[in-house]
Amino acid sequence: MSAVHRVRLPAGATVLVEVGHAVEPAETLATRRAAQGGASVAIATRLRRSPERAAEMLTVVPGTEVEAGDRLADDGRGHVVTAPAAAIFLAYDHGDGRALLAPLGDAEPILGHVRGEISAVEPDAIEIRIAGALLTGVGGYGSAVHGPLSVAVDDPLDELRAGAIDVGSSGRILVGGSRASAETLTRARAMGVAGIVLGGILDKELRDFEATQSRRREVGGIGDDFAILVLEGYGKVGLDVDLFGWFARHDGHMASLFGSDARLYVYGADPPPARRVFPRAGDRVIAHRRPYAGVGGRLVRVLETLHATPAGIPARSGLVRFDDGRSAVVPLANLEATEPSPG
Amino acid sequence: MSDPDARTELAILLDVGSAWAKAGVIGRVRGDWRLIAHAAQPTAWGSAELRRSLVDQLARAGDPRLAGRYEVLLAGANRIECHTARRVGRLAVVAVSRELSGSAARRAAEAAGWEVVDLLTLDDGRTLAERISTLQAVEVDAWLVAGGFDGTASPRALEAAALVAATRPTGKGPVVWAGTAQLADAVIGLFEPGAVTTVANPRADARHEDHEALREHLRALRGVVVQEDEAHLASVALPRAAGELARQGGLRVLVLDVGARAAVAALAEPDGSVAIRLHAGGGIAGIARAAGATSRVARLAGDVGDDAAIADLLETIRARPATLPETAEELAATQAAARVAIGAIVEEMGTGPVDLVIGAGRTIAGAPHPGQAARMLLDGVRPIGVTQLAIDPASLLGPLGSLPDDELGEGLALLAGDLLAPLGTAVVTRGGEPGGPAMRVTAHRPGWPATGPIQVRVGQIQVLPLPAGQTAELTIEPAAGVSIGAARRSPRIQALATGGAVGIILDARGVPMALPRRADDRRAVIASWRDAFQRETERVA
Repeated sequence: MSAVHRVRLPAGATVLVEVGHAVEPAETLATRRAAQGGASVAIATRLRRSPERAAEMLTVVPGTEVEAGDRLADDGRGHVVTAPAAAIFLAYDHGDGRALLAPLGDAEPILGHVRGEISAVEPDAIEIRIAGALLTGVGGYGSAVHGPLSVAVDDPLDELRAGAIDVGSSGRILVGGSRASAETLTRARAMGVAGIVLGGILDKELRDFEATQSRRREVGGIGDDFAILVLEGYGKVGLDVDLFGWFARHDGHMASLFGSDARLYVYGADPPPARRVFPRAGDRVIAHRRPYAGVGGRLVRVLETLHATPAGIPARSGLVRFDDGRSAVVPLANLEATEPSPG
Repeated sequence: MSDPDARTELAILLDVGSAWAKAGVIGRVRGDWRLIAHAAQPTAWGSAELRRSLVDQLARAGDPRLAGRYEVLLAGANRIECHTARRVGRLAVVAVSRELSGSAARRAAEAAGWEVVDLLTLDDGRTLAERISTLQAVEVDAWLVAGGFDGTASPRALEAAALVAATRPTGKGPVVWAGTAQLADAVIGLFEPGAVTTVANPRADARHEDHEALREHLRALRGVVVQEDEAHLASVALPRAAGELARQGGLRVLVLDVGARAAVAALAEPDGSVAIRLHAGGGIAGIARAAGATSRVARLAGDVGDDAAIADLLETIRARPATLPETAEELAATQAAARVAIGAIVEEMGTGPVDLVIGAGRTIAGAPHPGQAARMLLDGVRPIGVTQLAIDPASLLGPLGSLPDDELGEGLALLAGDLLAPLGTAVVTRGGEPGGPAMRVTAHRPGWPATGPIQVRVGQIQVLPLPAGQTAELTIEPAAGVSIGAARRSPRIQALATGGAVGIILDARGVPMALPRRADDRRAVIASWRDAFQRETERVA
């Protein structure tokens, strides 16, 4: 089982790896020099020319990257203006004869955040082949983190409570259940949890959490080292039983979580339970819309004719016997068949 | 009993959306082309399943002499198809000011069907380092740079272009310069040869905005970037059908298709010309990420849940656009989201009075109750004056719009009986004092005693049954201070109303619609509007 992870490279990045290299999550794949702010350089004054005249003596065009000492302007008579540091030349003001530069900082690492083997190096991306399984979700938050998986609830329908998180959770990617409150997320972050995987989350709580993290980042209190992955849906939505069982079997496996990309790589893992649209009678299914969102069950039979939902929409539907004891006719469009992991 | 000698002519009209695929089978019935089967399903289920649904329907309700042969007949039938763009073009917009050049560029880009990944302006509060970092991180198919008024060589506009030059990998995506014409050569010089195309500045001066040239350029560029056959794109085919309908009827027609991901609006004039807006993220699934949309949907949805519940629903629709609302509350919220989506696209388009509004797409045209479809169209468009409303229930307009020019008119005419389902006629007023008189309306139907005069107060909506196929002469007497759009030469206005599944809708809720501030009052008012549509429509049915 393998998956390919793609790391995008910004313009001007310097690649440090080649195809075939084995890389670790914290390994530097490339470097880039980020702009550090703005700097103004007096061009006209130093050339002793009017701003309009000095403009004709510029030797670079806006957008050019220059190194320290590179010429910015030259009057051809010995007056030269050079770049004070490595920078991007951005603009020249014809009013005051000054140039706007964006100084470039020291080389910063670009990490892959995954363990694997470099399979391709392109001008704008590096691809890494990962020995493990890839799970994609419906949403997420945060940057790239990695750590061992740790199942933190007993039942896939359980809510991940703040009390379940302690110092032992530090550095781990916790697998919760059907929901985590903003309070739980905040505590997890404070306790050093690397990431959280959930069946569902209340969108408002996720946004509240994002807002508090954004404010804390602005005042310099925290870094980008926490991520959330939402696998099934929004609201209180449980994890599929088979998928929960798969997580339980891989408790302790290293994983890399990309929150905003809604991707989770689990190293050395069997294929996760597969999903299939258009379920057939007899299939195990999971429902995606209220009032059954996140609840698994068995599709007992598919109705021969269209059946109106309680909202009145006629749809091809089937009778589902849910794991929680309820039975209901559900539109097939709202169901996915789940197939157990081969492992 | 199957008859091997029996012959038929069939064609399949297929509209493949990003989330749902709709198919209709047309065949000759007593000499006329009629819709004889229709099916809709999630696109991901595949074409074989869609064909099987159609075959099942035909086996149950089709000509029994053809029993057992429908599978073969459909396999050999003509396919007339349109589809949603398989890939959305992604664009980064860099401009000088958020309010002027930035907003104009963004509007043009969205109306041309691009997804604006980032709008970066030099007054957006970001530091220079953040701007550079943002642009280095975006993954886009093209870049749009705008800024400066024509006749000026704004250094800020050149700085915007320089930001793109500094961060765009060489050769990665075309650059469109839509800023001051005076800087065009300087901007071209910042990039490799052939990278930049220049377009007329949409904000040539501080007072005027005209982004038509930019929009058309971006529309053409999108076709090149995503490499799709334009003729079969729903965003091209649907407006073509709208144009032909308008030309045939001598009407001003507005067609609105609110799909799962994208929304298309086509405003067709009686001469057949069409103005198009395609919003790549303007469909129902896109509402979740629109600023302030959750609150607007919650306000319009009435008593179906608080902002948090609406936010979860909208995110669910975004994440799983092919799923269906099961509960009445979720349906009401989804339809409120459609009203918000329509409102946004119509506001940007500035439609003015129209003769006919047609709703397409599953959320509107597939609404379980015709009153719900009418309400989405009326609440979203607010078409002041007298306007016919209809839906495209079988999604035939798009496929027919993909026919060649010489077949389009004939195709629409041949299927006229099944193409549109009329909802009725709306009379929408603007102005007046809340609770005060808005209009008096008398309906005259040939062979029936006159109905009315019916008094409608500002803030009210009343529905009069008028079945499809029937017409009524309306005498409308707007109250003082109330307008129905057209200049008034007499205190009474005569208008013809055509019937439909809803009837005549007398709508004095204002333009824009005024809703009470207090939540309880608002919920009560919305419930009364909903009941007005449901009650009278059910009486007609």
